[in-house]
Amino acid sequence: MISFQATDDELAFVAVAKEFAKDRIRVQARESEQVEKVNEDLIEEANELGFLALELPEDWDGLELPLITQTQIMKALSYGDLGIVQGFTGAGDAASLFRLLFEHPGLQQVKDDNLTQGDSTTILVDLSDTEKPLGSTVSVQKDGNSYLVNGKTEPIRLAQYADTCVLFAKDQDGSPVILLLNDDWTVEDGDYRLGLLAAGIGKLTFEDVRVPESSVLATGTKAALIMKKVQTRNYIIHAAKQNGLMEAALDYATEYTAGRKAFGQEIAKFQGVSFKIAKMAIETRIVNHLTWEAALKADEDSAMAHGLALRAIHRAHKGVRFVTDAAVQLLGGHGFIQEFPVEKWMRDAQAQVALYGRERDYLTQRGAEILSGQVEVPVE
Amino acid sequence: MISFELSEQQNQIKEMTHWFAENEIRPMALEADRLGKVPDDWLHQVNQMGIQLNTSSFGGGGKSSGKRKKEREGNRMGVLATEEMAWGDPAVTLSLPGAGLGGPPIESSGTAEQKERFLSIFTTDKPRWGAYALTEPEAGSDASGVRTTARKVDGGYILNGQKIFITNGGRASWLVVFATVDPKLGRAGQRAFVVEKGTPGFSCTKLVKKMGLRANETAELLLEDCYVRTENLLGGEELYETSGSKPSGFQVAMKTFDSTRPIVASMAIGIARAAYEYTLDIVKKEYPKQGNYFHLASEILAEAEQDIQAARLLTWEAAWMADHGIANAKEAAMCKAYAGQIALDVCAKSLELLGPTGLEGHLVEKLYRDVKVFDIFEGTNEVQHLVIARRQYAPYDIRV
Repeated sequence: MISFQATDDELAFVAVAKEFAKDRIRVQARESEQVEKVNEDLIEEANELGFLALELPEDWDGLELPLITQTQIMKALSYGDLGIVQGFTGAGDAASLFRLLFEHPGLQQVKDDNLTQGDSTTILVDLSDTEKPLGSTVSVQKDGNSYLVNGKTEPIRLAQYADTCVLFAKDQDGSPVILLLNDDWTVEDGDYRLGLLAAGIGKLTFEDVRVPESSVLATGTKAALIMKKVQTRNYIIHAAKQNGLMEAALDYATEYTAGRKAFGQEIAKFQGVSFKIAKMAIETRIVNHLTWEAALKADEDSAMAHGLALRAIHRAHKGVRFVTDAAVQLLGGHGFIQEFPVEKWMRDAQAQVALYGRERDYLTQRGAEILSGQVEVPVE
Repeated sequence: MISFELSEQQNQIKEMTHWFAENEIRPMALEADRLGKVPDDWLHQVNQMGIQLNTSSFGGGGKSSGKRKKEREGNRMGVLATEEMAWGDPAVTLSLPGAGLGGPPIESSGTAEQKERFLSIFTTDKPRWGAYALTEPEAGSDASGVRTTARKVDGGYILNGQKIFITNGGRASWLVVFATVDPKLGRAGQRAFVVEKGTPGFSCTKLVKKMGLRANETAELLLEDCYVRTENLLGGEELYETSGSKPSGFQVAMKTFDSTRPIVASMAIGIARAAYEYTLDIVKKEYPKQGNYFHLASEILAEAEQDIQAARLLTWEAAWMADHGIANAKEAAMCKAYAGQIALDVCAKSLELLGPTGLEGHLVEKLYRDVKVFDIFEGTNEVQHLVIARRQYAPYDIRV
């Protein structure tokens, strides 16, 4: 039955997340950006509330929530500040891999660190798209039963804090492989100015790093399948985060334009302003629904989930750029200065979009799926 | 629990209406467009089959039927069924017998006696139509600016005025007509009447020719000293007495929009989907499998598919809210604004992919002409934006 009604548990969880976002995250957004790090107490609070373990398996003391629930919570948290949410340490984008391979012997040390220390950080370096131009020089060579990793990555979120690294790659023969690396790299400090400055962005350099067989998590078809599932889940989670930022920008711009006066009246009363607010509201709602739809399919483990996730992240990229830019525009000169949050949100949005995939690429991937007839076009 | 799966009943109605759209409506779409009408014998035939256009309820439960209380899903079923029918052809769909857009105001504001009298006429013996007459030459989007007058006389009202752009207005057995008892009262002076065909002083003066939806009748109507009994004042005089100075007639019009806008949105979605699927099929067969044209088609089709689904989910949300009695004016406006806009865009993109070949004998050309009005009637795109903005600013007491 078609329903847009969240469960009582979801509503309760979201209420806590939204309160945390408003009272704890939002107020620390600027400071975190200035010091380029999220306050450790705040991370600890988020951890205690379970927000860093939504995707982790129960076996790892995680909450292992369905994605439809996670999307609502991540949206609520990111309403506070996407820059801080993306700076939360922990399992990060590798959480979905841990969820899928929670019993893998190669991950038991990561599991133990996660359970005992609770503050270990893992990053996911996705080099599975070998056609992607610019940036990465990383090569992965199969050498007997081990692999040799060399080269430098593109900028990666949480690179500054990473203890372990999961690498999605293809070897010299083009065969997919998933490797686990333990602090065998150097991090290059960069001069990042655009956004997500508290997210520990950096480039990793690997020099003749040998990954033993015990740290090879998957190869071949199995690796490709796992990569696709992890990508699907991450697209959805990031789309939800971006949606939270969109809602923040929409609400802020609405309140501002309701109070700001020009030419003798509130600027909300000018249609150029109010219509833009309406468009922002529509776009925010659309990203929400497309994200929910992809999450529901992923929770069913449906073959359609990947395509719907591509659709959701594409729309979230487009939407977050539009809404945050519109918010800055509606605040006029005030939107451009740092006394107001919207300039940061616009920068964060653009940095997020840069980090998490090319918008047009998602669209053409989805289009190719449709044209090849690999998936049914959903009309239900 | 959040879910986008259809219930058994929703699936049934979707499949049933799709079958009808595919086998009965679509085959005659281009011919009906050429003729500028839907053949009478076809209308008679489908009416005998019990197929009608009812925009207010598809029998989705919700009525108290003894012990078992079933979740109302009529609005959701309505948008599902309408999307399928419009996918077949929107002009034919709008021409189907039934209460049409006149149904919702009678359902929401009519007395029990009026509901019985006006809604029970849609039987299978012969096709009949209802209609909704709000728009005037000087009052379209501004529904509060209605100039048609209603002068109180003994036992009823005398109506004078002109109505334009009325779907099925010439053939309708009755029309819900909006008029004002005193223009100085603004919205508070508005009343909704049911004017029956054949009432002296009421006439159809013209059937207009249009860009699209050519098979569907669009009428201009004249009310000249047209006497309407008090029994035909929608909701009865008591409704207006009890609501005091509240703008009840206007509210009837607005309340109607909250349930009809998702229906209109779903029609736009059906048209967009028809254009998209038609084009996808041709591109799959005729386009190269790699290279520039493949990438062009990939992007365009992926964007179209995404926009269609986005519009559909907004529409489902508005319908779901209506089923649960949740105020949905904002969501109804959102889905109408978005669906109307993207549907034209999807048709244009489809034409782009078909190139000059699409100009002749292809359904998409017709759908492009048909769909434009979906961004206009039931409130223009701009009016929808106004409605959304008003709801958005409501917490700040700002009236935009």
